[in-house]
Amino acid sequence: MKEIFKLGGILLLVTALASGALSMVNKITKPKIEEQKRLVVERALIAALPTADPKAIEKVIENDEILYYIGYTTQEKTDIAGYAFVAKKAGYSSVIETMVGVDTTGKIIGIKVMEEKETPGLGTKIEEIKYGESAPWFQLQFINRYAGELAVDKDNGPIRSITGATISSRAVTNSIKEGLEQLEKRLGGFKKQANPTQTEQVS
Amino acid sequence: MENRLVVSASPHIAHKDSVKKIMFGVVISLLPAAVGGVYFFGAKAAWVIVLAILSAVITEALIEKLTKKPITIADGSAIVTGILLAFNVPPEVPWWIPVIGSAFAIAIGKVPFGGLGYNPMNPALLGRAFLLASWPSHMTIFKTAPKDGSLSGINLAAIKSYGLDAITSATPLNVFKTQRGILFEWHDVLKSGMENPALQAKADLANNAISQLSDSYANLFWGRVGGCVGETSVFLLLIGALYLIYKRYIGLRIPLTYIGTVAVLTWLFAGTEGLFSGDPLFHVLSGGLILGAFFMATDMVTSPVTPKGRIWFGVGCGVITVIIRLVGGYPEGVSYSILLMNLTVPLLDRYTKPKTFGKVEQK
Amino acid sequence: MSMMSEFSKGFYKENPVFKLVLGLCPTLAVSNSVQNAIGMGVAATFVLIMSNVIVSLIRKGVPKKIRIPIYIVVIATFVTIVDLVMAGFAPALHKSLGIFVPLIVVNCIILGRAEAFAGKNPVFYSFLDGLGMGLGFTFALTIISIVRELLGNGSLWGVPLMPPSFEPVLLLILPPGAFLTLGLFLGFFNWLDAKRDA
Repeated sequence: MKEIFKLGGILLLVTALASGALSMVNKITKPKIEEQKRLVVERALIAALPTADPKAIEKVIENDEILYYIGYTTQEKTDIAGYAFVAKKAGYSSVIETMVGVDTTGKIIGIKVMEEKETPGLGTKIEEIKYGESAPWFQLQFINRYAGELAVDKDNGPIRSITGATISSRAVTNSIKEGLEQLEKRLGGFKKQANPTQTEQVS
Repeated sequence: MENRLVVSASPHIAHKDSVKKIMFGVVISLLPAAVGGVYFFGAKAAWVIVLAILSAVITEALIEKLTKKPITIADGSAIVTGILLAFNVPPEVPWWIPVIGSAFAIAIGKVPFGGLGYNPMNPALLGRAFLLASWPSHMTIFKTAPKDGSLSGINLAAIKSYGLDAITSATPLNVFKTQRGILFEWHDVLKSGMENPALQAKADLANNAISQLSDSYANLFWGRVGGCVGETSVFLLLIGALYLIYKRYIGLRIPLTYIGTVAVLTWLFAGTEGLFSGDPLFHVLSGGLILGAFFMATDMVTSPVTPKGRIWFGVGCGVITVIIRLVGGYPEGVSYSILLMNLTVPLLDRYTKPKTFGKVEQK
Repeated sequence: MSMMSEFSKGFYKENPVFKLVLGLCPTLAVSNSVQNAIGMGVAATFVLIMSNVIVSLIRKGVPKKIRIPIYIVVIATFVTIVDLVMAGFAPALHKSLGIFVPLIVVNCIILGRAEAFAGKNPVFYSFLDGLGMGLGFTFALTIISIVRELLGNGSLWGVPLMPPSFEPVLLLILPPGAFLTLGLFLGFFNWLDAKRDA
């Protein structure tokens, strides 16, 4: 009996020391880690809402959940440049999270994949930037499209899927489509797209 | 053989066939399909075959030379590997695809295990699996329509009259897989009671395409369809297979159980109208099933030796093929099914060992 | 026992991957790019050195019966430190290594060295052993990843190196490519040894 207490005591001491050390490290790294997380979202928002002032993007929160973001063109927050939301769907080996920005008519103006752990060399090509280009070709295909058009080529849509990674391509496409439809419901409808060739000036 | 009175363990009955003789028999049996491939797809198919053979033979000679082992290319097994690999790639691949595929088949699939007789998996199929995983864009795109036919095997007249041009620019199994998917989606929409005119139009087209596929038996049989170099003509492959059966180089257990399993399972499950609505004949004639069942699943080195084991081997290949064709990601599953079953051969042999004659079962 | 040999044995003679065939899970999983391989190698080396040093320091006070749980607690502590620091200061690397950072805890090289070496040897030798083994592990990961990234993705350290007409061997950066490359390296080193002994 005595031995058990002795051994237990030693283990307790070791674990206590370990947790003490860890709490110290955690104190140093915690603000850094949160900063990194915030930066990911911030960078994604800037990419998704290129027409908005980066300092004039607001969250719309309901029940502690961020429903979507509103981006204004200026810091006076009079004109809405567009809305952004996070689209999520399970891909081949991970949940793919994409920040999507649309203008007030529901046209996609920017997207950025924030989180994915797909098969390297196949699914990860949703983030591939070809040599000499500045943005991922797969994501560029979504720009200037509306929810109704979104489907990959295997589903007879206009989005060219990645060779060997139809599941990842489809997950991104369908998650954006679903997210857009949800956003439309929450906003009570987008502004009418007067004419596809003539973009509406928000005054 | 000078000393004929050797005392050794059984079997004592020697057969006059040597490895070399059998291998060249297999080469002869593959010739009709090779000639057919060149006839249907043109000179590039001939290039693929020549390059694959050369690469296989040279790789084997080179490795054996470097490791100072006896050079075994004269037994002809490398030539068979090269031809089978060429038969399993599309005719319009770049020149380096058959070269790398054959080199991989020999250098990774055969020699490291100890050469002919010790390789656990069919080297040619291993080469194909490597190519398919590494360059999917080259291995899954078929552009060359066969002479006097269409890629999908559907008659040109039918393509015109049904307006099918847009969906028949693929091999029969590809058309089958995509169109069946559309029909299932349409059935779901019908059940939910929603209207979707765009999808309905697509589903009508899909119905037409699938029924036309079923009417293309003759094209599938003669080989007027798109596909890999040597897999398309059932007729020419069967001529070769008959020769092998006549020479008793292959048995019937594996091919028959394999093809039979595919037929039964596709009849049961491959339809779009519930059970028993599938088209077994289409599935038997299309893709690489005939090539696989007669020439690759029967490979002496990588198939079971016991009669019962061979039956299970064929059934297993059939089940895996159908699962891949109907639910997997690829339209065709013959090569993967044979590779997977190759790995079960030691177990199959072990559990199907025939009882010793006269032995009493121990209680 | 010379200091030099304690340090250098990890590179070749007792290379954890190629000779002891330990720690294969991270070896196979993160050797798909040179960046990942070196990141994992450095992380594992840090944990290895620190756990070796601590285990060696406390080796006289640790009762034999509970030495394994204590070693694990020590290792897990350093792994968590690495995980937190990496998440805070190298988020891109942390993201691409993913689950394999916390999994360093169960990397058998580390527990193996604690049990086989640090628990019986003085601190400085344990430090050299950890450093040598860690660098040997990093070396193994790096040469595997050079082959895989160069042929499988046409790049090294993310920089495209191959001519545009080169079509990468996708298989090599997929899991089967890890087994294939590792197997060929194992065969190569065994062949070297066999040749030297002959």
